[in-house]
Amino acid sequence: MSDLKSRLPDEVKHILGRMVDASGRERLLISLGSFVLALVAGALLLLVSGAFASCESPVFGLGGLQFCYNPIEVYSVMLNGAVGSPYSLGLTLRETTLLILAGVAVAVTFQAGIFNIGTQGQFIFGGLAGAAVVHYTADLLPANVVGGGGLFALGMMAAALIGALYGALPGILLAYYDANEVITTIMLNFIATAVAFTIVRSFLREGAAVQTTLIPDYATPPAIIFPSASSFSILILVPTLLIAVGAHYLLNNSPLGYNIRVSGEQPTAAEYSGVDSKQVIVRTFTLSGVIGGLAGGVFVFMVLGYWQPSVPQVGFDGITVSVLAANNPLGVIPAAALFGILQSGSVALDLQLGVPRQLAGVLRGIIILFVAMPEFMRMIGRRLGLGESSATSAVTGTEANDD
Amino acid sequence: MTHSVELTDIRKTFPGVVANDDVSLSVNKGEVHVILGENGAGKSTLMNILYGLYQPDGGTIRIDGEEKEFESPQDAINEGIGMIHQHFKLVGPMTITENIILGSEPKKSLGMSVDMETARREVKELSERYGFDINPEDAVEDVSVGVRQRVEILRALYRGADILILDEPTAVLTPDEIESLFVVFDELIEQGKTIIFITHKLDEVMSVADDISVLRDGKRITTIPAEEATNNRLAELMVGDEVLLELDRDPHPKGEELLRVDDLQIEGDDATLVDDVTLSVREGEVLGIAGVDGNGQTVLSDAIAGLIELDDGSVTFDGEDATEWGRNRLNDAGLSYIPPDRQEQGLVMNFDHGENVILGEQHTFPIGRRMRDDELAEEIVAEYDVKTSGVETSVKSLSGGNQQKLLVGRELERDPKLVIASNPTRGLDVGSIEFIHEQLLSARRNDRGVLLISSKLDELQQLSDRIAVIYEGEIIDTVDPETVTERELGLLMAGQELVTEETDSVSNENTLQAKRIEDENK
Repeated sequence: MSDLKSRLPDEVKHILGRMVDASGRERLLISLGSFVLALVAGALLLLVSGAFASCESPVFGLGGLQFCYNPIEVYSVMLNGAVGSPYSLGLTLRETTLLILAGVAVAVTFQAGIFNIGTQGQFIFGGLAGAAVVHYTADLLPANVVGGGGLFALGMMAAALIGALYGALPGILLAYYDANEVITTIMLNFIATAVAFTIVRSFLREGAAVQTTLIPDYATPPAIIFPSASSFSILILVPTLLIAVGAHYLLNNSPLGYNIRVSGEQPTAAEYSGVDSKQVIVRTFTLSGVIGGLAGGVFVFMVLGYWQPSVPQVGFDGITVSVLAANNPLGVIPAAALFGILQSGSVALDLQLGVPRQLAGVLRGIIILFVAMPEFMRMIGRRLGLGESSATSAVTGTEANDD
Repeated sequence: MTHSVELTDIRKTFPGVVANDDVSLSVNKGEVHVILGENGAGKSTLMNILYGLYQPDGGTIRIDGEEKEFESPQDAINEGIGMIHQHFKLVGPMTITENIILGSEPKKSLGMSVDMETARREVKELSERYGFDINPEDAVEDVSVGVRQRVEILRALYRGADILILDEPTAVLTPDEIESLFVVFDELIEQGKTIIFITHKLDEVMSVADDISVLRDGKRITTIPAEEATNNRLAELMVGDEVLLELDRDPHPKGEELLRVDDLQIEGDDATLVDDVTLSVREGEVLGIAGVDGNGQTVLSDAIAGLIELDDGSVTFDGEDATEWGRNRLNDAGLSYIPPDRQEQGLVMNFDHGENVILGEQHTFPIGRRMRDDELAEEIVAEYDVKTSGVETSVKSLSGGNQQKLLVGRELERDPKLVIASNPTRGLDVGSIEFIHEQLLSARRNDRGVLLISSKLDELQQLSDRIAVIYEGEIIDTVDPETVTERELGLLMAGQELVTEETDSVSNENTLQAKRIEDENK
């Protein structure tokens, strides 16, 4: 890193330092500014690709060029598609709920300095566990609200438990067998996908398709305020928000949280202060697995209504959400909301304007990239020890470091 | 006579700190000008301003009488200023030549490729002119720290520097390397270069300086010619009041045995790190452990503190067998540990004061309580004289001395029965060293036990009641600090037994005494 610092031009260092020093208000302004810039860049992209695309009715022509997409229309459709109706707002919040859970699951491990890629695997197994509970116990419980509540509670508990176990596994491998967590978690994701497929095909299959029993309506979280077509229940969002707040509280108000943060910041200091690093690793992974498993449970009970092998990549999106939130569980909430908005917005683009999904994806990428970049640069600047507050320490630090 | 460098009323503030308070300074051409000051006195800030890394809030810079403004180091380099930082900025896998030309490579083929022929020739000529004994084809990662420093100096010279700023260049060097650095200084001065040399070590100032400027709290206190300076006078100028170089260590009655280590053994991957060590510390006693770094003392202190499991032997703390206790239980029982590395181990750099003062105590916190103690932090800051802009700033922003005071304060405020202090004053300025020594002695006065591990002989002699010398993991002798000479300690630390010489009755007596003390210990 210090090599990088010495090779950076001074103008760049100055800007990075200035970013590190930015006040809260400035950071907000910077974020808004980059959002606006992202829209402008996206608009240019839409114009250019619109000029090359072929469409039946160009929106406008200019000097012999035909433009297929009108950026303003595209943005308004996106906005409408994301929050324009109770239905689309429901879709957005549904995505947001899943991403909050996945994001928090990733964030707690990243806080401990563990690069856990395994949330997807816990998401898969958590969902499958929920579906399996329905498969085996639905007939044993009364087919009414009480029985449904019991079914839901059992299913979510199973999701959490299986998530915890499947999360603890790479933790144990890392703590006691020194197996790199990036590699083990990626491998465990593949294993989860394949094993889940086999289990469903062999034991839980219902009919011809490889998918599980439908979850009865009375066990599905009720759709209040939002139409049931959006498969979203505010009764799930509220506890989800509590989980994010709870994770934040845990990090700041419990010895385990403190140990997680010390381990992430400075493993040598953790060791010095009597932290059992193996224990912290396993517990952090387990905690992350519980939340990842719950995300799977929510997906099965609230969103899909059954389990089938091709589940969305919620666990991987959780990584991006967490990084965008600087691994702060509270920051995960707005980050997940941004993702949710962009996701349902781009679905609407495809449906209403015929803008290809790929282009919508690029548009989404541009916005996320622009919004994330200032904070990312701040992180780099801080790592390099730039900025006024650390400039003092850079000065005194060199004097202090002379042993 | 024109001054090579003339700084007038340079002012620089950082949030909460005035780093340079209208500093004026003149450096004569062809001389070694030493800038002396405690940690955090503003030396490096001033030099970073001269090198264009920082822009001053006020004041002017004149080079050879002409006023200049430096917006970046490149501007300073263009004016013939070169800076050698304490932490080298070299690329390890590249050769010395490549490192020297990096950023100002001679070009050929219309600037499309680097003219290595010319580069090699120029670097060779340059190093010969200054009598540098280096092989330009060596990779930087393969050469010693002393050579790397020469590469830094050559790089500055290659870029045409006439004024060389060296920021604490001796901090990373061995005594031999320091000697040869000063020979390089002579060579540079002979060739008409000007040297600005930043340091806080008194002993090396006198041997090289022409003029000495003392900075304190961001102000220039004075500039005096080297021949008028004495160690005492400089120390006084640096700290601001008379330095007590002699500490008051009254004889103090020893109480019960607090710590007993029997036959402690730690095996490493391919060597025995600590070999059959037996020692004891009583109430009101300071046991010093002397040794050259890397002879097992860190492993030993970690083992006693409960951080490493023993391979053999036992630890008894306050009358109870504590061999299996581990760090947390030992801490609760009253064993504090000031670790050798404050920035890696003792403090979490990105945590603030309130979070750092509970490090090591976190297991005693119930779930639901905020994991910080601002009250305790305030108390330590006040009592241990920590200069900080607030307990909610990260400890990274503190100078080394203040970090260490916070750390020492935390460990002593727990009111331990015994404190292990591993190199507690390493890299600190005179004022902080004294303060920490005073704290350790006051712990001793209060019947606490102190296990002091240090590589500084004067520190050990001033503080210890007994000194055990460790060599290759073994305690090879225990001596009385009152009577042992530095030379004898040096011999022991090099692994040689003290032999009785007929011609030297004093040393004979010491050895006997040392033996007696050792016997007493058994």
